[in-house]
Amino acid sequence: SLSFKMERKTIDLDQGWDYMQTGITKLKRILEGLPEPQFDSEQYMMLYTTIYNMCTQKPPHDYSQQLYDKYREAFEEYIHSTVLPALREKHDEYMLRELVKRWSNHKVMVRWLSRFFYYLDRYFIARRSLPPLNEVGLTCFRDLVYNELHSKVKDAVIALVDKEREGEQIDRALLKNVLDIYVEIGMGQMERYEEDFESFMLLDSASYYSRKASSWIQEDSCPDYMLKSEECLKKERERVAHYLHSSSEPKLVEKVQHELLVVYANQLLEKEHSGCRALLRDDKVDDLSRMYRLYHKIVKGLEPVANIFKQHVTAEGNALVQQAEDTATNHAANTASVQEQVLIRKVIELHDKYMVYVVECFQNHTLFHKALKEAFEIFCNKTVAGSSSAELLATFCDNILKKGGSEKLSDEAIEDTLEKVVKLLAYISDKDLFAEFYRKKLARRLLFDRSANDDHERSILTKLKQQCGGQFTSKMEGMVTDLTLARENQNSFEEYLGNNPAANPGIDLTVTVLTTGFWPSYKSFDINLPAEMVKCVEVFKGFYETKTKHRKLTWIYSLGTCHLNGKFDTKPIELVVSTYQAAVLLLFNTTDKLSYTDILTQLNLSHEDLVRLLHSLSCARYKILLKEPSTKTVSQSDSFEFNSKFTDRMRRIKIPLPPVDERKKVVEDVDKDRRYAIDAAIVRIMKSRKVLGHQQLVSECVEQLSRMFKPDIKAIKKRMEDLITRDYLERDKENPNMFRYLA
Amino acid sequence: MGLRKPKATRETTTKMRETVKLISMEGFEFIIDREAAMVSQTIRSMLTSPGGFSESKDGVVTFPDISTTILEKICQYFYWSLQYSRGKETEFHIEPELTLELMMAANYLHT
Repeated sequence: SLSFKMERKTIDLDQGWDYMQTGITKLKRILEGLPEPQFDSEQYMMLYTTIYNMCTQKPPHDYSQQLYDKYREAFEEYIHSTVLPALREKHDEYMLRELVKRWSNHKVMVRWLSRFFYYLDRYFIARRSLPPLNEVGLTCFRDLVYNELHSKVKDAVIALVDKEREGEQIDRALLKNVLDIYVEIGMGQMERYEEDFESFMLLDSASYYSRKASSWIQEDSCPDYMLKSEECLKKERERVAHYLHSSSEPKLVEKVQHELLVVYANQLLEKEHSGCRALLRDDKVDDLSRMYRLYHKIVKGLEPVANIFKQHVTAEGNALVQQAEDTATNHAANTASVQEQVLIRKVIELHDKYMVYVVECFQNHTLFHKALKEAFEIFCNKTVAGSSSAELLATFCDNILKKGGSEKLSDEAIEDTLEKVVKLLAYISDKDLFAEFYRKKLARRLLFDRSANDDHERSILTKLKQQCGGQFTSKMEGMVTDLTLARENQNSFEEYLGNNPAANPGIDLTVTVLTTGFWPSYKSFDINLPAEMVKCVEVFKGFYETKTKHRKLTWIYSLGTCHLNGKFDTKPIELVVSTYQAAVLLLFNTTDKLSYTDILTQLNLSHEDLVRLLHSLSCARYKILLKEPSTKTVSQSDSFEFNSKFTDRMRRIKIPLPPVDERKKVVEDVDKDRRYAIDAAIVRIMKSRKVLGHQQLVSECVEQLSRMFKPDIKAIKKRMEDLITRDYLERDKENPNMFRYLA
Repeated sequence: MGLRKPKATRETTTKMRETVKLISMEGFEFIIDREAAMVSQTIRSMLTSPGGFSESKDGVVTFPDISTTILEKICQYFYWSLQYSRGKETEFHIEPELTLELMMAANYLHT
């Protein structure tokens, strides 16, 4: 059937509104808690339908605008008649409770009414660009209730917060509900919460903690103050979690941190008996960890702590150095060198100790790594009793690696120590100096078979290579390889002798051929060798030329060793001596007595060397030669005689030569290498930059070379001048401070 | 689908209803699934109102302005809509003479 009901009965505005009022009144009664049955679906639909019809009626009976206005007025009326009076008569916590209740009710009222009036939301508000019903409802509450009360409410809330800070229990749920109002009333923006509550709360919190801090800083020790601060921060975070809006957390924490930790940072850290310095002195690991935790979150907060740490470590390091220096000046030479080795050990221990601090207390923070590094760089470059740290470190290594050096230590312990030594090297600015000393001592170990363990030798070279690069260790590795090759070579030589009996020199000869570039430079000069040895040299030369034709052999007799049979009256004794010492002794095969001058002429040595040699044979422990007069030192007027009466318990004795002071030569060699390195760096930089100012050139030079040594500025300037005279560079004609590369 | 009965008495139940009863202007009652009825935004708003309704009166709505024919079609539409959203894409046929009234009812029910 066709029931086409186009005609509904028109609802008059007043009539329709009267009906809506019944619904609104019912709603109010329900909200006030009065006995009132809930809406049923029929009632709901009727109210909805009434609005619908009044909005879809034909003009002049389309009442959308009027209904929209009446909707708002319904809220305004209710607020003015009931809500505001109820709130105005209450205060403090009671007021807060009432507000929470009224807000909750209001939201329910908005929800219901906006559903009844829903049809307006569908077309009318969009057509007229009006705020939707939900917003209208909330805005009423905001404009009439919130605007009047928010300041009073804020005061009440802050009072409760401070109450809780003083240790009293408060109703946290209530505060949360109140603050939710500030958030919700912003209708998507946090402005109301921030301006009407948060800013005041922050100010109040700041002044609260400012008061606390000013008394605590006087009364409490640094650790206690820090404990209190940590506790306060924890409590404030909890406060946020319980009832403040989460966006307040960083702001509140920043304020509290500022009052407790920033304002009084200096006083706190520098407290006389309990501040940072004292904590470091007394190894108060927990307190220092707390200090780190607290200052870590503050911008630049850790800098003063790291600074004090650096000063402390530097002071401890300096004290160790001073101790070693004092011992050296007060004691004999050999205890001094023992002290120096002790110093290295102690420096390693110091490093280990404070590295633990950096890793654990200071959570591996770069600032503290840097502080530790800078501290060590300060005292690790000090000289002790004339020895540079580079030399001390090289000597330390030598002591571990040579025979009789560290046999008591396990392999693991040795590896560990070598590891730590290499780490210390990073702090020493003259790394090239270390390399040279190390090379010299390595040479000694290798050539005189004094190396304790091949694996350790290789291991430290690997570690050095890792830390300083391949270039650093290439020569040293070459030295080790040379020794291996030398053994092979010796086998070939012995084979050669076997095949050429006529060439045999009649003496057991072992020759070690070294690649010049790898080994330290040694002075070699033309001693007049005894005839037997001359033959040896020629025979080997002959053999060597069968192997290669393009290499030149330079003999370093100062490094050689000889085994002589001494035919003494009592018993024959084998003497292990240097080649030079052998040359001297063999002279006495033909003559019983020789004067100093005789020996000098025959051997063609310098005074310095000869005195040394003769001393070792006549004035030291084993007197193979008798000196006339038998004074303690050798003078040029002395004469010498073979001591046939000499004897010793042992069948073989080693007659050592006192070691020449390497130091001077090492420093000279390193200085020479540095000049070349500076030249190369300058040329390299200028070649790529073409034109560069003086300052910049110097600073780039320093940077490039810093991996190996700290160049002297004067030296750089000198090298620059030298390069100018050699036409590598020129000064700019207009600006003498600019340099140009000459291709 | 709906049952056609003349004006009947209202039932009482004590649990959350799984069905709702829609009554046309002539008094015909259509008992349909709650889920189907909620295709109408208007009905959905009502059924999900805060505070809830007293259970005994929940879910019975009279539409004095909607004829039985139209209301029946609307109920069919509800079920078709559910099926369609589950993937069964069939056509919904509307008799041309019902179009206008159906549209007005749809507007009212916000469907």
